[in-house]
Amino acid sequence: MTAGASIDTTENEVTAMTDQTPVLRLASISKTFGTNKAVDSVSFEIRPGEVIGLIGENGAGKSTLLKMLSGNYRPDQGVIEVNGKPQQFRGPADALRAGIGVVHQEQSLFTNLTVAENIEVNTPAGRGGVSRLGLYNWRRLNADAARALDLIGSHLNPNTHVSDLSFIDRQMVEIARAIRVSASSHTPPLVILDEPTSILERTETAILEREISKLRDIGSVIFVSHRLDEVLRICDRVLVMSNGRLIADRPSRETNEAELFRLMVGRETHAAVRNRTSVQPGTVPVIAVKNLSRQGEFSDVTFDAFPGRVVAVLGTSGSGRESLVRTIFGAEAPSAGIVTIAGDESHRPSIGHSVKKGIGYLPAERKTEGMFGEMPADENLTLTHPAGAAVGPFELPRRRRAIATEWFERLDIRPRTPERMLGDFSGGNQQKVVLAKWLNSPELSALLLDHPLRGLDPGAAETVNEQVRAICDAGTAVVLIPDTIEEALEIADDIVVMRDGRISGTYDLGHDDPTTLDLLERML
Amino acid sequence: MSATVTEASPETGAAPRARRAVIGRHAWQAIGPIVIFIAMLVVVAILTPAFIGGGGLAIIAASSAPILLLALGQSMVLNVGSIDLSNAAIALLGAILLALALGPLAAGAPIVILLVTTLFGAVNGLLVAYFQVPSFALTLGTLGIFQAASLVTSGRTTVYVSNNGQIVSTLYQSGIANVPITFWIAVVFAVLLWILMRYTRIGRGLTAIGKNESAAIFSAVRTRALKVLAFALSGFAAGIAGIVIIAQAGSASPTGLGSDLLLPAIAAALIGGTSISGGVVNPLTVIFGALTVALVPIASSAIGIPTQAQSLVYGVVIIAIVALTMSRNKSSIVK
Repeated sequence: MTAGASIDTTENEVTAMTDQTPVLRLASISKTFGTNKAVDSVSFEIRPGEVIGLIGENGAGKSTLLKMLSGNYRPDQGVIEVNGKPQQFRGPADALRAGIGVVHQEQSLFTNLTVAENIEVNTPAGRGGVSRLGLYNWRRLNADAARALDLIGSHLNPNTHVSDLSFIDRQMVEIARAIRVSASSHTPPLVILDEPTSILERTETAILEREISKLRDIGSVIFVSHRLDEVLRICDRVLVMSNGRLIADRPSRETNEAELFRLMVGRETHAAVRNRTSVQPGTVPVIAVKNLSRQGEFSDVTFDAFPGRVVAVLGTSGSGRESLVRTIFGAEAPSAGIVTIAGDESHRPSIGHSVKKGIGYLPAERKTEGMFGEMPADENLTLTHPAGAAVGPFELPRRRRAIATEWFERLDIRPRTPERMLGDFSGGNQQKVVLAKWLNSPELSALLLDHPLRGLDPGAAETVNEQVRAICDAGTAVVLIPDTIEEALEIADDIVVMRDGRISGTYDLGHDDPTTLDLLERML
Repeated sequence: MSATVTEASPETGAAPRARRAVIGRHAWQAIGPIVIFIAMLVVVAILTPAFIGGGGLAIIAASSAPILLLALGQSMVLNVGSIDLSNAAIALLGAILLALALGPLAAGAPIVILLVTTLFGAVNGLLVAYFQVPSFALTLGTLGIFQAASLVTSGRTTVYVSNNGQIVSTLYQSGIANVPITFWIAVVFAVLLWILMRYTRIGRGLTAIGKNESAAIFSAVRTRALKVLAFALSGFAAGIAGIVIIAQAGSASPTGLGSDLLLPAIAAALIGGTSISGGVVNPLTVIFGALTVALVPIASSAIGIPTQAQSLVYGVVIIAIVALTMSRNKSSIVK
């Protein structure tokens, strides 16, 4: 009895304290790697119930800052205070105990385990815990997990295997895991969401936004995203980082997208109004897809990609649009149909053949399919199309460096060190190098872009879009799988909408003017 | 948080993390094997000064030639992320076939042997690349086949060169700087491979496969043809190793000189800085890997370590050197 009473009092103390003290207070936090100040004297506070947006270009220091909050890095200087108590995290477990939970950009769930096992993976063992002497108490495990899910308003069955869940449901499990430890210790949690929406579809984003507003009732949130409209909609305050420093702290209602872009990137957005025309009759398509099918992915797809035009392929995650583009490139095998590239018909496209015909493909999975992290950037760039950096079988390292330097300048790839390993660059700059690998082709006839802007900050995204427009104006055909409908409406000349593996609508933006809602209807 | 701060910042650019430690790692990859070899040589010279003066270096170089050749072939295969367990068996089979063929074919025999062993390697490569048999399992199988072929062709005895033996034996008996030509052939082969790896598109493609095979496929690198090439090079190198064995011994047998070269050659490739998971190779440092592997048994008997303990010393030293020189990333998983 007495033990129970004492727990109650501490609980009350904690609640009482959080009413005045900030959930998190950072005082002059710094972290240096070698000669580079990744985070330079950053200070801010988060009050209970606040949702904070954290934005900045790739490499601005956001990740390093988050890693110090999650206990992965130790700050060189400065103080981290959680609920008024200074903390020195020796590892992620300490941060969790203090109530800081991180939902990482790349999902980190054990897909072969159940929802409950995933949520409870960090909870301490022992008396009252979910496991004792290394043995699970399944009933308690499932009950505790259900309670954590309930806090964020999710009704997932704790016994489901994570591999059976959709992406957005997995995200819910991650959030439940992030708040699980603090839920049991009755400290209000601070949940850090690191780019949770970058690979979510539009409808799923709406669900996540609802979840975030629920988190507001039980704790605070740091929301990291590159989508400025979302940040403004969801967050109370926006923090902007650049070159390791906190350069702005704005309440959401006192700022706008244009200002945030300028703060982050250091220049105005280039207002881009695309001059659209219809396809001229008689134009020969670069890529003609006829009745193309792939078992279990898509069927009977017919469309053309014309020189100088961007075709955006829209669809939800089950639409088969990614598989369609990979099949055109030759990475997956079609079960029926014909792909004609520059007049050359084929039932069985192959990557080697496509590349010879001047086709390029920017994969969505950059790290595994697009680049060699442990290879210098200039070698990555000239691997497929050496274009002057090779004479016959022999390479010319100095020419290679010169060509790479030119692309670094043109695409504003930073830092300007093409000899550095590509893996050491930030995501946005890696993506620019992978793009340059195809742009370096002297005869690029078509470029297939699979989620080219995924995870890119607005500045890098704008550079990529500018290059896409430039090659388009030079007569290259572009097939684009965009992240959002807005992206399609901004850059495309033609739109193909797919639903359940079939085309459900095509638009020539030269004379059609579909609204977002029109397109959404065709997708769902 | 003031406006002035804002204007100043974005120009300098987002520099990635400085990685001073990495530069050290790369430098060590280049000179580590040389440093280790020289350090061991110094230790031996201090313990037994007579070793260096008494032509010890020439003995090491001569005995390292077959190991070096096999290690170079192995490093090409390791570089594309595979392994060739059959190359030493190919070398031995090549040596036996050469001993049989030298009489009838004279100077044509070495050329035929090189063609045959290159073909053996290419078949390994074809099966790995086109039928996607894991190289470890496949070459374990072909290792057995080649060993069986050695037993059959040799009739389980030592095969002596009947005629025209001088065609290859001169390679061992004449030398440059007191070191047999056989060693210099291996060195020239290493230099050629180095040029291939450093200055040609083929070399870039081979390394790309080892670093990230999916990305190589998506970059239109001809991954399958290049894998076949890597295994064919391993077979070719094994063929030269077979010729070197005959030049050195004048005979070949399934249990004689060259029958236990597989693991020393893998050790030499690793000590020479080749990554066991692929994507990192420098044929020039493999030379010092092979010299080191050849030095250990010769030096341990020169120092006077009892015969029973030599294999123990060999094992311990090899583990220590591989641990010191092996190419690996800070956080990567080593299998």
